[in-house]
Amino acid sequence: MRPIREVGFVGNGASRVPWGPVVVAVVVAALVAGGAGYWAGQRRVAAPPPEERKLEIFHWWTAGGEREAADAMFQALREKYPDIQLVENPVAGGGGVSHRVVLQARLSAGIPPDTWQTLGGAELKSYVDGGFLTPLDDLYAELKYADAIPKPLLNAVTIGGHPYVVPLNMHIQNILYYNKKLFDELKLAPPTTVDELLAVARAIKAARPRMAPLALGTKEKWEAAFVLDSIILEVGGPEYYVRLYKGEVDVATDPTYRRALERLAQLAPYIYPFHAGLTWDESCGLVVSGDSAMVLMGTWAIGYFKSRGWEPGRDFGAVTFPQKPDRILLFHPDTYGLAKGAPHPRTTRDWLRVVASPELQIPTDVTQGGLFARLDIEPSRFPDPIRQELQTFVRANPGKLILDQHGSIAPFSFTQAYWDVAAAFAAKPDVAGTQRRVAELFTTYNVKNEAAWYRWP
Amino acid sequence: MPAAPAPLSRRRLAEAVPFALPLLACLAVLYLMLAWTFYVSVSDWQGTAPRYGFAGLRWYRLMVSLDRFWVDVHNNLRWLVLGVVPTVVAGLGIAYLLEIGPVRRLEAYLRTLILYPAAMSFVVTGTVWSWMYQPDRGVLNTILRSVGLGRLAGGYTTDPATATYWLILIFVWQYLGLTVLILQASLRSVELQEMVESAMLDGAGRLRILLAVVLPNIRGGVLIVVSLLLISALKVFDIVYVVTFGGPGYATDVLALFQFIATFQQHLVALGAGLAVVIFALAFVIIIPYTVYALQRWFE
Amino acid sequence: MRRRDLSLRVLVAAAVVGLSAAYLLPVYVMVVTSLKTPLEITQRQYLVPGGNWQVANYATALRLVWPSVVNSTVIAVTVTALAVFVGGLGGYFLARFRWPVSRVLFVLLAVALYLPYQAVLIPLVRIVAATRLALTHAGLIVSYLILNAPLAAVLMATFFFSVPRELEESAEVDGASRMQIFFRITSVVSLPGYASTATLVFIQVWNEFLLALTLSSPYTTTVQVKLAEVKGSYVALYNLQMAAALITVLVPLGVFLTLGKYFIRGILAGALRG
Repeated sequence: MRPIREVGFVGNGASRVPWGPVVVAVVVAALVAGGAGYWAGQRRVAAPPPEERKLEIFHWWTAGGEREAADAMFQALREKYPDIQLVENPVAGGGGVSHRVVLQARLSAGIPPDTWQTLGGAELKSYVDGGFLTPLDDLYAELKYADAIPKPLLNAVTIGGHPYVVPLNMHIQNILYYNKKLFDELKLAPPTTVDELLAVARAIKAARPRMAPLALGTKEKWEAAFVLDSIILEVGGPEYYVRLYKGEVDVATDPTYRRALERLAQLAPYIYPFHAGLTWDESCGLVVSGDSAMVLMGTWAIGYFKSRGWEPGRDFGAVTFPQKPDRILLFHPDTYGLAKGAPHPRTTRDWLRVVASPELQIPTDVTQGGLFARLDIEPSRFPDPIRQELQTFVRANPGKLILDQHGSIAPFSFTQAYWDVAAAFAAKPDVAGTQRRVAELFTTYNVKNEAAWYRWP
Repeated sequence: MPAAPAPLSRRRLAEAVPFALPLLACLAVLYLMLAWTFYVSVSDWQGTAPRYGFAGLRWYRLMVSLDRFWVDVHNNLRWLVLGVVPTVVAGLGIAYLLEIGPVRRLEAYLRTLILYPAAMSFVVTGTVWSWMYQPDRGVLNTILRSVGLGRLAGGYTTDPATATYWLILIFVWQYLGLTVLILQASLRSVELQEMVESAMLDGAGRLRILLAVVLPNIRGGVLIVVSLLLISALKVFDIVYVVTFGGPGYATDVLALFQFIATFQQHLVALGAGLAVVIFALAFVIIIPYTVYALQRWFE
Repeated sequence: MRRRDLSLRVLVAAAVVGLSAAYLLPVYVMVVTSLKTPLEITQRQYLVPGGNWQVANYATALRLVWPSVVNSTVIAVTVTALAVFVGGLGGYFLARFRWPVSRVLFVLLAVALYLPYQAVLIPLVRIVAATRLALTHAGLIVSYLILNAPLAAVLMATFFFSVPRELEESAEVDGASRMQIFFRITSVVSLPGYASTATLVFIQVWNEFLLALTLSSPYTTTVQVKLAEVKGSYVALYNLQMAAALITVLVPLGVFLTLGKYFIRGILAGALRG
């Protein structure tokens, strides 16, 4: 290399440039880092033997109506146990996507939080299989909680005979929301079967050509599986639905599954075409803005519509979809458990007692959007007719609940891949190819073994 | 002229140790983790808890049988070519224009303008671009419709056939500033300026100067830019994660996103580790030529 | 000659207009969004300004992100200082001790540059947890240092290669030790190189999301994590997110624009000459 004569500051730099400060800065930085590390290390070691009244909690209710629901939860905790110091670690990210990353890293590193939000079903099973949760048989016995909640909900949180988490709500997946004013104006009845849905969609398309009758947003992928699920539930019936997701159906040659895909393909022309770019809340927004007339979404959409100033019963209506051959509610619960090796197990048990109580469930569920997990809470505690009706139905028919896509029957490995295939189908309906791919997923991810734990009815 | 290798005397060694040690410590941890990733890829870890039983190539076999994996490989190759070449060409063009064009007063403005995306969080730029592309209400289509070009309005990232290309455009947009900055700086070496001047005196055209004089003499700058871009394009995750999350379906999925989903969503940690190994394998194929070239240049 | 100048002017004008459109439009959208009410956000009229200019969004956003700006600054500055220090020493080793082992080291470093963070996330968190540094600033700092030291070393090596040996040889004759030479001569001459390396490392650390998310506790939340959190998952508060983004971008942009000058001078010094 040639010397760099032409650059001025090389020649006189050695004497003029203050290299001292650079070294000082580096040394100071190193000291700061070391000191911080030492301080932190000291702090962790210094935990005194009697258990601190502290609770580290992971949840993903960080914003909008969900943040208020989390506040309601913690308010209930503070009222019951004012001495508990709450260390919240809310992890942002839709539906707990980032939450799971953080949690998995923390769990496999052996630094679990005391308790964390998890859905029932396959997600819960993955934590139980990993040996990260403590069975709660004693707590369930103490609270008589098994008798307080519907049997299918108890099944969804029971793995290998032991309950592992305390559910605080139930979300219902298969609800069709519709623009009530538009339906009244066009004299349409809310559809409860696929045929009716197609007829209604055609009528809306005829009356409002610029409208995409059925809203959809598949950016998070699961939304596509919701629509498919409802169709499967009608075409095959509830027993078929359970057998399918338990991996007991040979999908590759199954005419029922094929029929369900064909029905969805028939619906495709009436679905909002740019669904791949929208999240679930934006898809509900299409109904509010008048771009669409209906959307298939879970109970959490009620809170969304209300936040947009839409009143249930006045601006929008909701029906369980489908209602033939039977009215089945596809559901998943939000739950909390006790970590194995939790730093504060006694405090965590106090927290779980509060989670099981009506004092927490009423304000939290009313705010966040699900149904009450406890059957002894009056349905009239809900301000909206939609959930009053749903809760009343659940009280009378607690057996009509089946796990949905989120608290899934099939293992997580399968479900995630399945959503992608369903979303791809929604973007480009290809019945034969999709049927083949879904069949492959069932064998690849060994659903038959992994989902054997689930019992229904 | 190859320098004679210094004799490895004890004194030289003692001199070298304090320089190499901190870096070696960092590298040791890095390669420990790398070895860990490799081992996990041949283990049977699925589920949330570590399972280190040896499973051989089981998860690799599963990987290559997945339709999604091949979609990812194709998409990654698209990113490598279309994320790097246009960025360098456009960056070079802009840097050259800034040098020869009458833009002295605009330079600070232009530099700030194209640099800010590099300083900005991908969470935010990704969100903004998803609004730009959104087909029915989004910025681009709204503008096109309002100037009467509605028929050009496209589906952008919602169209499975073209979605990846629109994502790559965001990458080009984000990295153009850094590219221009580095190339512009390497254009300004005094020797090169002299060469350009003498070529101009000889009456050569500007384009000819760019191709015949400038380009061969800024190989170093181009090399740095290309390797920075290759690294970023191969590792691409953020843009896809925020703008499409791999959709529609998995049309825009890339290896790094699948790796993330397999590990943390599907809990197939062994499969995720295998995908990371594939990313490394691809990186190797790409870095080897670069490394050989750089070694020749530096250890001459 | 005249005609050529004219075509050049047209070309330049086209480039300026094109770039301005491509880069100002997203900023415009951000600014407009940051001034909207939550209700206006849900109407998805991205291009149209909302009726009520919600300047208060900026105050709210600043209040929300301020602690995380402090956290990010502490973390990014410390990591940058340490990485540049480690990278400087290591880079000097690569540039001056040309043994076969240095070649191997160089290849190992180059490979390390391609490490996707998510591939080492789980082992990294394990290591940090085992050293009891998890969920502290120090945990993040150590992690980022390990991940960024290779980049810093490779970059610094390229700068040291261009420092003429003659400069060092005269000091050697005067009996200075290798360390003295490194700190008093080579490093001083390469200060622009340090500036450019520091810029790149700082920006990388400031903008890193995944690791910050995983290792963050309520006390160590960084700006990027906060930005994602501000928006939330339910009623998307894009107005606050954009306001917060426009506020927090000032830090890295400021670094770019001030250190960028040195960055350019560093390259000017011939470090990247072909």
